[in-house]
Amino acid sequence: MTQDKEKLIVELVNKGLDGDMDSVNNHEDKIVRAKAKAMIMKVKKGTVERPPMPEISNQVATDPISGNQDQAIKIEDPFEKVKKVITEKYSNDLDEGKEANCIYFKPDNWLEIAKWLRSEPSLLFDSLQCQMGMDMGEDILESRYNFHSMELDHYLEVRIRVSRSDPKIPSVEQVWRIADWFERETYDMLGIEYIGHRDLRRILLPDDWEGWPLRKDYQEQETYHGIVVPKIKEGWD
Amino acid sequence: MGLLTNKFSEDNVIVAKLEKLLNWSRSTSPWFFQFGTACCAIEMMAAAAPRHDIKRIGFIPRSSPRQADVMIVAGTVTMKMAIRVKKLYEQMADPKYVVAMGSCATSGGPYWQHGYHVLKGVDIVIPVDVYVPGCPPRPESLIEGLLKLEEQILEDRPLTRKMA
Repeated sequence: MTQDKEKLIVELVNKGLDGDMDSVNNHEDKIVRAKAKAMIMKVKKGTVERPPMPEISNQVATDPISGNQDQAIKIEDPFEKVKKVITEKYSNDLDEGKEANCIYFKPDNWLEIAKWLRSEPSLLFDSLQCQMGMDMGEDILESRYNFHSMELDHYLEVRIRVSRSDPKIPSVEQVWRIADWFERETYDMLGIEYIGHRDLRRILLPDDWEGWPLRKDYQEQETYHGIVVPKIKEGWD
Repeated sequence: MGLLTNKFSEDNVIVAKLEKLLNWSRSTSPWFFQFGTACCAIEMMAAAAPRHDIKRIGFIPRSSPRQADVMIVAGTVTMKMAIRVKKLYEQMADPKYVVAMGSCATSGGPYWQHGYHVLKGVDIVIPVDVYVPGCPPRPESLIEGLLKLEEQILEDRPLTRKMA
């Protein structure tokens, strides 16, 4: 840190001596500014020799001249790359959505897309990191998938929106085996039916539970096997 | 031997009620059914581990309901579990006791209002003898509860026919 500051001071001194006093006066750090000014005075008096310009500067990022250089170093966003490949191939299956950093699909062709996502050489999404569901309100349920490619190290989030009255999405359980329990949990909590899932049962709640608890319009049942569910103890408020 | 230690100077004969003798022996070795449903189980394990060591007051963990006298319900009881808790309680041999450990088992704890899947106190499905509050209770409070249970067992009358 101190070395960086010294370099910065030396650089400012050089600039100041070359006539560019603005960059010295406008510098944010008070101490650096003061030290640089003091050094300029000393050099002008002749008590100190003019230091050589440092090679690597700390100020490149904020310097307007080297701004272009910064842009050239910037790597292309991997998500944009992935998105381009997918939208070119399956432009008909895209759905509309608010979020920009994920891809929305219609449910109809999802199984085929999933197989392709896994096998396409430029994507190779071999790992389904998470699958979860959400009630978005306004009669819409959303199933979300987070993919990662271990081979190419890029990520993708896919969202599929279905209506609450007819929530049917093709299952990707046979494409990524991990989806088995993920989809069972989403089915358990939101009642999204994954078509083609080989063992679609409730996973957390008991098999004979009624309703889908994470839906916004969920009404809990009165009793379960004779046990009162929303019990209010006497004397409690 | 807690009650009789260092009470006699030489060999002796004790005359006692059979019930009292039974109670005394039962109260000093109530084996408990080790059975944790949530985080309270960690404290129960800590209580059974060497630092607190509830074996020294006679509580020995058993893994089968058929060998146990006391059931310590340690933790949140969900609706799914409630049916199983009841079944396990029914499998225990009489006389049997239940300790509800922690606020979840006594009243539903943090889920008492909005937890649709949580049983609001294990006393809804099985009778409870001692409630141990805390979230989770320290091993010391569990031991306090177990000593209270021992007092209860001493006052029991297992041989007397109960009046209808």
